[in-house]
Amino acid sequence: MRPAGAQGRLMTTIDLTIDGQAVSAPPGATILTAAESLGIHIPTLCHAPELTPTGVCRVCLVEVEGARTLVAACHTPVAPGMVVRTQTPRVVKARKAVVELLLTAHTGACVTDLNAHNCLLHKLASDLEVGPPRFQVRKPRFYPPESDNPYVCRDLSKCILCRRCVRACREVAKQDVFSIGFRGFASKVVVGRDEPLTLEVCKDCGVCIDFCPTGALYAPARPAEKG
Amino acid sequence: MDRDRQSLLALVQNALEKSGPDALPDFDGLARSLELPPSEVYGLATFYAFLGEKSRGRHTIRVCSGLPCHMEEARSVLTRLEKVLGIEAGQTTPDGRFTLEVVSCIGACDQAPAMLVNDELHGRLTTRKIARVLKSYT
Repeated sequence: MRPAGAQGRLMTTIDLTIDGQAVSAPPGATILTAAESLGIHIPTLCHAPELTPTGVCRVCLVEVEGARTLVAACHTPVAPGMVVRTQTPRVVKARKAVVELLLTAHTGACVTDLNAHNCLLHKLASDLEVGPPRFQVRKPRFYPPESDNPYVCRDLSKCILCRRCVRACREVAKQDVFSIGFRGFASKVVVGRDEPLTLEVCKDCGVCIDFCPTGALYAPARPAEKG
Repeated sequence: MDRDRQSLLALVQNALEKSGPDALPDFDGLARSLELPPSEVYGLATFYAFLGEKSRGRHTIRVCSGLPCHMEEARSVLTRLEKVLGIEAGQTTPDGRFTLEVVSCIGACDQAPAMLVNDELHGRLTTRKIARVLKSYT
Protein backbone atom coordinates (compact mmCIF):
# COMPACT_ATOMS: atom_id res chain seq x y z
CA MET A 1 0.00 0.00 0.00
CA ARG A 2 1.32 3.40 -0.98
CA PRO A 3 0.84 5.82 1.96
CA ALA A 4 3.74 5.91 4.34
CA GLY A 5 3.36 4.53 7.82
CA ALA A 6 4.65 7.86 9.10
CA GLN A 7 1.17 9.31 8.72
CA GLY A 8 0.23 6.72 11.32
CA ARG A 9 -2.36 7.75 13.82
CA LEU A 10 -3.53 10.80 11.93
CA MET A 11 -4.53 8.69 9.00
CA THR A 12 -8.23 8.72 8.32
CA THR A 13 -9.80 6.28 5.95
CA ILE A 14 -11.86 6.96 2.86
CA ASP A 15 -15.16 5.15 2.43
CA LEU A 16 -16.29 4.17 -1.01
CA THR A 17 -18.30 1.51 -2.79
CA ILE A 18 -16.94 -0.91 -5.36
CA ASP A 19 -19.33 -3.23 -7.16
CA GLY A 20 -21.91 -2.67 -4.42
CA GLN A 21 -19.52 -3.53 -1.59
CA ALA A 22 -18.52 -0.92 0.97
CA VAL A 23 -14.79 -0.55 1.50
CA SER A 24 -12.52 1.71 3.53
CA ALA A 25 -9.20 2.62 2.01
CA PRO A 26 -6.32 4.71 3.31
CA PRO A 27 -5.77 8.13 1.70
CA GLY A 28 -3.59 7.80 -1.37
CA ALA A 29 -4.98 4.37 -2.19
CA THR A 30 -6.04 3.83 -5.76
CA ILE A 31 -9.27 2.28 -6.99
CA LEU A 32 -7.15 -0.72 -7.96
CA THR A 33 -5.67 -1.30 -4.51
CA ALA A 34 -9.05 -0.74 -2.85
CA ALA A 35 -10.66 -3.27 -5.20
CA GLU A 36 -7.88 -5.76 -4.52
CA SER A 37 -8.53 -5.44 -0.78
CA LEU A 38 -12.06 -6.65 -1.52
CA GLY A 39 -10.77 -9.49 -3.66
CA ILE A 40 -12.13 -7.84 -6.79
CA HIS A 41 -9.87 -8.45 -9.75
CA ILE A 42 -9.29 -5.65 -12.25
CA PRO A 43 -7.08 -6.59 -15.20
CA THR A 44 -3.93 -4.50 -15.60
CA LEU A 45 -1.08 -4.35 -18.07
CA CYS A 46 1.12 -1.28 -17.69
CA HIS A 47 0.77 -1.39 -13.94
CA ALA A 48 3.22 -3.01 -11.55
CA PRO A 49 3.00 -2.53 -7.79
CA GLU A 50 6.69 -1.54 -7.59
CA LEU A 51 6.36 1.21 -10.19
CA THR A 52 4.74 4.63 -10.27
CA PRO A 53 1.24 4.18 -11.70
CA THR A 54 0.84 6.00 -14.99
CA GLY A 55 -2.40 4.72 -16.45
CA VAL A 56 -1.09 4.59 -20.01
CA CYS A 57 -2.50 1.27 -21.21
CA ARG A 58 -6.15 1.83 -20.21
CA VAL A 59 -6.76 -1.89 -19.65
CA CYS A 60 -7.89 -1.28 -16.04
CA LEU A 61 -10.74 1.05 -17.01
CA VAL A 62 -13.64 1.20 -14.55
CA GLU A 63 -16.82 3.19 -14.29
CA VAL A 64 -17.08 5.86 -11.60
CA GLU A 65 -20.52 7.30 -10.95
CA GLY A 66 -20.62 10.95 -12.02
CA ALA A 67 -17.35 10.80 -13.93
CA ARG A 68 -17.47 12.00 -17.53
CA THR A 69 -15.37 9.14 -18.83
CA LEU A 70 -14.20 5.74 -17.69
CA VAL A 71 -11.13 6.08 -15.48
CA ALA A 72 -8.02 3.95 -15.13
CA ALA A 73 -8.20 2.17 -11.76
CA CYS A 74 -4.44 1.85 -11.36
CA HIS A 75 -3.73 5.55 -10.97
CA THR A 76 -7.05 7.06 -9.88
CA PRO A 77 -7.02 7.84 -6.17
CA VAL A 78 -10.04 6.87 -4.12
CA ALA A 79 -12.36 9.66 -2.99
CA PRO A 80 -15.01 9.73 -0.26
CA GLY A 81 -18.36 8.41 -1.42
CA MET A 82 -17.02 7.21 -4.75
CA VAL A 83 -19.20 4.60 -6.42
CA VAL A 84 -17.12 2.34 -8.67
CA ARG A 85 -18.27 -0.42 -11.00
CA THR A 86 -15.67 -2.74 -12.45
CA GLN A 87 -17.71 -5.14 -14.59
CA THR A 88 -20.48 -3.23 -16.38
CA PRO A 89 -21.06 -3.93 -20.09
CA ARG A 90 -19.64 -0.47 -20.87
CA VAL A 91 -16.43 -1.29 -18.98
CA VAL A 92 -16.04 -4.73 -20.53
CA LYS A 93 -16.63 -3.38 -24.01
CA ALA A 94 -14.08 -0.61 -23.55
CA ARG A 95 -11.47 -2.98 -22.12
CA LYS A 96 -11.87 -5.33 -25.05
CA ALA A 97 -11.45 -2.48 -27.50
CA VAL A 98 -8.35 -1.30 -25.66
CA VAL A 99 -6.77 -4.74 -25.89
CA GLU A 100 -7.72 -5.01 -29.55
CA LEU A 101 -6.09 -1.68 -30.29
CA LEU A 102 -2.96 -2.69 -28.39
CA LEU A 103 -2.81 -5.88 -30.43
CA THR A 104 -2.78 -3.93 -33.70
CA ALA A 105 0.59 -2.43 -32.79
CA HIS A 106 1.92 -5.69 -31.38
CA THR A 107 3.56 -7.26 -34.40
CA GLY A 108 5.28 -10.54 -34.02
CA ALA A 109 5.33 -14.24 -34.53
CA CYS A 110 3.23 -14.82 -31.42
CA VAL A 111 1.21 -17.52 -33.15
CA THR A 112 4.30 -19.62 -33.67
CA ASP A 113 6.32 -18.22 -30.80
CA LEU A 114 7.03 -20.78 -28.10
CA ASN A 115 7.03 -18.00 -25.52
CA ALA A 116 3.68 -16.53 -26.57
CA HIS A 117 2.09 -17.87 -23.40
CA ASN A 118 4.35 -15.46 -21.51
CA CYS A 119 2.79 -12.52 -23.29
CA LEU A 120 0.50 -10.70 -20.91
CA LEU A 121 -1.29 -9.03 -23.78
CA HIS A 122 -2.20 -12.36 -25.31
CA LYS A 123 -3.33 -13.62 -21.93
CA LEU A 124 -5.54 -10.55 -21.54
CA ALA A 125 -6.94 -11.01 -25.02
CA SER A 126 -7.91 -14.55 -24.22
CA ASP A 127 -9.23 -13.68 -20.73
CA LEU A 128 -11.40 -10.93 -22.19
CA GLU A 129 -12.41 -13.12 -25.13
CA VAL A 130 -11.35 -10.49 -27.59
CA GLY A 131 -11.64 -12.71 -30.66
CA PRO A 132 -10.35 -12.13 -34.18
CA PRO A 133 -8.99 -8.68 -35.03
CA ARG A 134 -11.53 -6.07 -36.11
CA PHE A 135 -9.08 -3.28 -36.83
CA GLN A 136 -7.20 -3.38 -40.09
CA VAL A 137 -3.53 -2.56 -39.91
CA ARG A 138 -2.45 -0.70 -43.02
CA LYS A 139 1.22 -0.78 -42.18
CA PRO A 140 2.40 -3.27 -39.57
CA ARG A 141 4.63 -1.85 -36.93
CA PHE A 142 7.89 -3.65 -37.52
CA TYR A 143 11.36 -3.25 -36.08
CA PRO A 144 14.16 -5.76 -36.57
CA PRO A 145 15.06 -7.60 -33.36
CA GLU A 146 18.21 -6.28 -31.68
CA SER A 147 20.82 -8.33 -29.91
CA ASP A 148 23.65 -5.86 -29.36
CA ASN A 149 23.72 -6.69 -25.69
CA PRO A 150 24.66 -10.13 -24.35
CA TYR A 151 22.16 -9.81 -21.50
CA VAL A 152 19.18 -7.89 -22.86
CA CYS A 153 17.72 -8.38 -26.34
CA ARG A 154 14.96 -6.23 -27.77
CA ASP A 155 12.18 -6.94 -30.22
CA LEU A 156 10.42 -3.61 -30.50
CA SER A 157 7.79 -5.02 -32.86
CA LYS A 158 6.28 -6.64 -29.80
CA CYS A 159 6.54 -3.51 -27.67
CA ILE A 160 3.20 -1.94 -26.76
CA LEU A 161 4.72 1.18 -25.18
CA CYS A 162 3.48 0.40 -21.68
CA ARG A 163 6.57 2.15 -20.32
CA ARG A 164 7.19 -0.50 -17.70
CA CYS A 165 10.84 -0.83 -18.78
CA VAL A 166 11.26 2.94 -18.72
CA ARG A 167 9.99 3.11 -15.16
CA ALA A 168 11.68 -0.10 -13.97
CA CYS A 169 15.05 1.09 -15.24
CA ARG A 170 14.52 4.50 -13.66
CA GLU A 171 12.87 3.51 -10.41
CA VAL A 172 14.07 0.00 -9.62
CA ALA A 173 17.44 -0.30 -11.36
CA LYS A 174 18.18 3.44 -10.90
CA GLN A 175 19.76 3.57 -14.34
CA ASP A 176 17.48 5.61 -16.59
CA VAL A 177 18.47 4.05 -19.90
CA PHE A 178 15.11 4.19 -21.71
CA SER A 179 12.78 6.96 -22.77
CA ILE A 180 9.93 7.24 -25.24
CA GLY A 181 10.83 8.94 -28.51
CA PHE A 182 8.93 10.06 -31.61
CA ARG A 183 5.21 10.50 -31.86
CA GLY A 184 1.97 8.68 -32.55
CA PHE A 185 2.31 5.39 -34.41
CA ALA A 186 6.07 6.00 -34.75
CA SER A 187 6.53 6.18 -30.96
CA LYS A 188 9.11 3.79 -29.62
CA VAL A 189 11.30 3.16 -26.64
CA VAL A 190 14.63 4.81 -27.32
CA VAL A 191 18.07 4.40 -25.82
CA GLY A 192 20.16 7.57 -25.95
CA ARG A 193 19.65 9.11 -29.37
CA ASP A 194 17.85 6.03 -30.55
CA GLU A 195 21.01 3.97 -30.38
CA PRO A 196 21.49 0.24 -29.96
CA LEU A 197 21.26 -1.10 -26.43
CA THR A 198 24.95 -1.82 -26.01
CA LEU A 199 26.88 -2.82 -22.94
CA GLU A 200 28.13 0.75 -22.73
CA VAL A 201 24.72 2.09 -21.83
CA CYS A 202 23.20 -0.98 -20.19
CA LYS A 203 24.85 -3.53 -17.97
CA ASP A 204 23.53 -6.89 -16.99
CA CYS A 205 20.86 -6.21 -14.38
CA GLY A 206 18.00 -7.40 -16.58
CA VAL A 207 15.39 -5.72 -14.37
CA CYS A 208 13.55 -4.44 -17.43
CA ILE A 209 13.18 -7.99 -18.76
CA ASP A 210 11.22 -9.00 -15.69
CA PHE A 211 8.90 -6.05 -16.10
CA CYS A 212 8.26 -6.34 -19.85
CA PRO A 213 4.77 -7.82 -20.26
CA THR A 214 5.04 -8.79 -23.92
CA GLY A 215 8.47 -10.32 -24.34
CA ALA A 216 9.78 -7.31 -26.26
CA LEU A 217 12.72 -7.46 -23.87
CA TYR A 218 14.27 -10.85 -23.29
CA ALA A 219 17.43 -12.60 -22.27
CA PRO A 220 19.34 -14.27 -25.09
CA ALA A 221 18.76 -17.98 -25.41
CA ARG A 222 22.21 -18.90 -24.21
CA PRO A 223 24.14 -17.08 -21.49
CA ALA A 224 26.88 -14.85 -22.87
CA GLU A 225 30.34 -16.32 -22.82
CA LYS A 226 33.15 -14.33 -21.37
CA GLY A 227 36.15 -13.18 -23.43
CA MET B 1 8.50 14.88 -11.80
CA ASP B 2 11.33 17.22 -11.06
CA ARG B 3 11.84 20.84 -12.01
CA ASP B 4 14.57 19.94 -14.49
CA ARG B 5 12.16 17.94 -16.58
CA GLN B 6 9.66 20.77 -16.59
CA SER B 7 12.17 23.24 -17.95
CA LEU B 8 13.45 20.86 -20.60
CA LEU B 9 11.13 21.96 -23.42
CA ALA B 10 12.05 25.64 -23.07
CA LEU B 11 15.73 24.79 -22.89
CA VAL B 12 15.64 22.62 -26.00
CA GLN B 13 13.79 25.36 -27.90
CA ASN B 14 16.34 27.87 -26.76
CA ALA B 15 19.24 25.65 -27.76
CA LEU B 16 17.74 25.15 -31.23
CA GLU B 17 17.28 28.87 -31.79
CA LYS B 18 20.86 29.58 -30.79
CA SER B 19 22.39 26.76 -32.81
CA GLY B 20 21.24 28.10 -36.18
CA PRO B 21 19.79 26.23 -39.14
CA ASP B 22 22.61 23.77 -39.81
CA ALA B 23 24.40 22.91 -36.61
CA LEU B 24 22.63 20.75 -34.10
CA PRO B 25 22.43 21.88 -30.52
CA ASP B 26 24.40 19.93 -27.98
CA PHE B 27 21.53 17.77 -26.69
CA ASP B 28 23.86 15.51 -24.74
CA GLY B 29 25.46 18.46 -22.96
CA LEU B 30 22.00 19.77 -22.14
CA ALA B 31 21.04 16.38 -20.72
CA ARG B 32 24.19 16.28 -18.60
CA SER B 33 23.66 19.77 -17.21
CA LEU B 34 20.11 18.84 -16.18
CA GLU B 35 21.18 15.42 -14.93
CA LEU B 36 18.71 13.80 -17.28
CA PRO B 37 19.44 10.81 -19.50
CA PRO B 38 20.21 11.73 -23.13
CA SER B 39 17.27 9.59 -24.21
CA GLU B 40 14.92 11.94 -22.36
CA VAL B 41 16.08 14.97 -24.34
CA TYR B 42 16.07 12.98 -27.57
CA GLY B 43 12.57 11.69 -26.83
CA LEU B 44 11.25 15.20 -26.35
CA ALA B 45 13.02 16.56 -29.42
CA THR B 46 11.56 13.82 -31.63
CA PHE B 47 8.04 14.21 -30.24
CA TYR B 48 7.65 17.80 -31.40
CA ALA B 49 7.75 18.35 -35.16
CA PHE B 50 9.19 21.81 -34.58
CA LEU B 51 12.19 20.46 -32.71
CA GLY B 52 13.18 18.06 -35.48
CA GLU B 53 16.82 17.49 -36.17
CA LYS B 54 16.70 16.66 -39.86
CA SER B 55 18.71 18.64 -42.36
CA ARG B 56 16.58 21.43 -43.68
CA GLY B 57 16.10 23.48 -46.81
CA ARG B 58 15.88 27.25 -46.74
CA HIS B 59 12.14 27.05 -46.17
CA THR B 60 10.26 24.45 -44.21
CA ILE B 61 6.73 23.62 -45.31
CA ARG B 62 4.63 21.98 -42.62
CA VAL B 63 1.34 20.56 -43.86
CA CYS B 64 -1.21 20.07 -41.11
CA SER B 65 -2.65 16.58 -40.81
CA GLY B 66 -5.06 17.36 -37.99
CA LEU B 67 -8.63 16.13 -38.24
CA PRO B 68 -10.27 19.36 -39.53
CA CYS B 69 -7.57 19.72 -42.19
CA HIS B 70 -7.92 16.05 -43.05
CA MET B 71 -11.66 16.57 -43.56
CA GLU B 72 -10.86 19.46 -45.89
CA GLU B 73 -8.65 17.33 -48.11
CA ALA B 74 -5.25 18.05 -46.57
CA ARG B 75 -4.16 14.83 -48.24
CA SER B 76 -4.60 16.33 -51.70
CA VAL B 77 -2.71 19.44 -50.59
CA LEU B 78 0.18 17.19 -49.65
CA THR B 79 -0.04 15.18 -52.86
CA ARG B 80 -0.02 18.42 -54.82
CA LEU B 81 3.03 19.73 -52.97
CA GLU B 82 4.86 16.45 -53.42
CA LYS B 83 4.16 16.57 -57.14
CA VAL B 84 5.15 20.20 -57.62
CA LEU B 85 8.30 19.92 -55.52
CA GLY B 86 9.20 16.45 -56.76
CA ILE B 87 9.87 15.18 -53.25
CA GLU B 88 8.01 13.20 -50.60
CA ALA B 89 7.06 14.31 -47.14
CA GLY B 90 10.15 14.30 -44.94
CA GLN B 91 12.48 15.21 -47.80
CA THR B 92 14.28 18.34 -48.98
CA THR B 93 14.36 19.52 -52.60
CA PRO B 94 17.73 18.93 -54.29
CA ASP B 95 18.22 22.70 -54.68
CA GLY B 96 17.81 23.08 -50.93
CA ARG B 97 14.87 25.43 -51.29
CA PHE B 98 12.14 23.53 -49.47
CA THR B 99 11.79 20.86 -46.82
CA LEU B 100 8.36 19.25 -46.78
CA GLU B 101 6.88 17.86 -43.58
CA VAL B 102 3.56 16.56 -42.33
CA VAL B 103 2.79 17.73 -38.82
CA SER B 104 0.07 17.38 -36.21
CA CYS B 105 -2.42 20.19 -35.65
CA ILE B 106 -0.93 23.65 -36.12
CA GLY B 107 -3.94 25.33 -34.53
CA ALA B 108 -5.39 26.81 -37.70
CA CYS B 109 -8.46 24.59 -37.81
CA ASP B 110 -10.65 27.53 -38.88
CA GLN B 111 -8.58 27.86 -42.03
CA ALA B 112 -8.37 24.21 -42.98
CA PRO B 113 -6.64 22.90 -44.97
CA ALA B 114 -3.67 24.83 -43.73
CA MET B 115 0.10 24.75 -43.83
CA LEU B 116 2.99 26.70 -42.41
CA VAL B 117 5.89 27.89 -44.49
CA ASN B 118 8.56 28.73 -41.94
CA ASP B 119 6.42 30.60 -39.43
CA GLU B 120 3.91 32.02 -41.89
CA LEU B 121 0.44 30.53 -42.03
CA HIS B 122 -1.34 29.76 -45.29
CA GLY B 123 -4.93 28.61 -44.98
CA ARG B 124 -7.89 27.50 -47.11
CA LEU B 125 -5.45 26.02 -49.55
CA THR B 126 -6.33 25.21 -53.12
CA THR B 127 -4.19 23.96 -55.97
CA ARG B 128 -3.93 27.44 -57.41
CA LYS B 129 -3.12 28.96 -54.06
CA ILE B 130 -0.34 26.45 -53.42
CA ALA B 131 1.45 27.48 -56.61
CA ARG B 132 1.16 31.14 -55.63
CA VAL B 133 2.46 30.53 -52.13
CA LEU B 134 5.44 28.54 -53.34
CA LYS B 135 6.38 31.27 -55.80
CA SER B 136 6.69 33.79 -52.99
CA TYR B 137 9.51 31.83 -51.33
CA THR B 138 12.83 31.84 -53.11
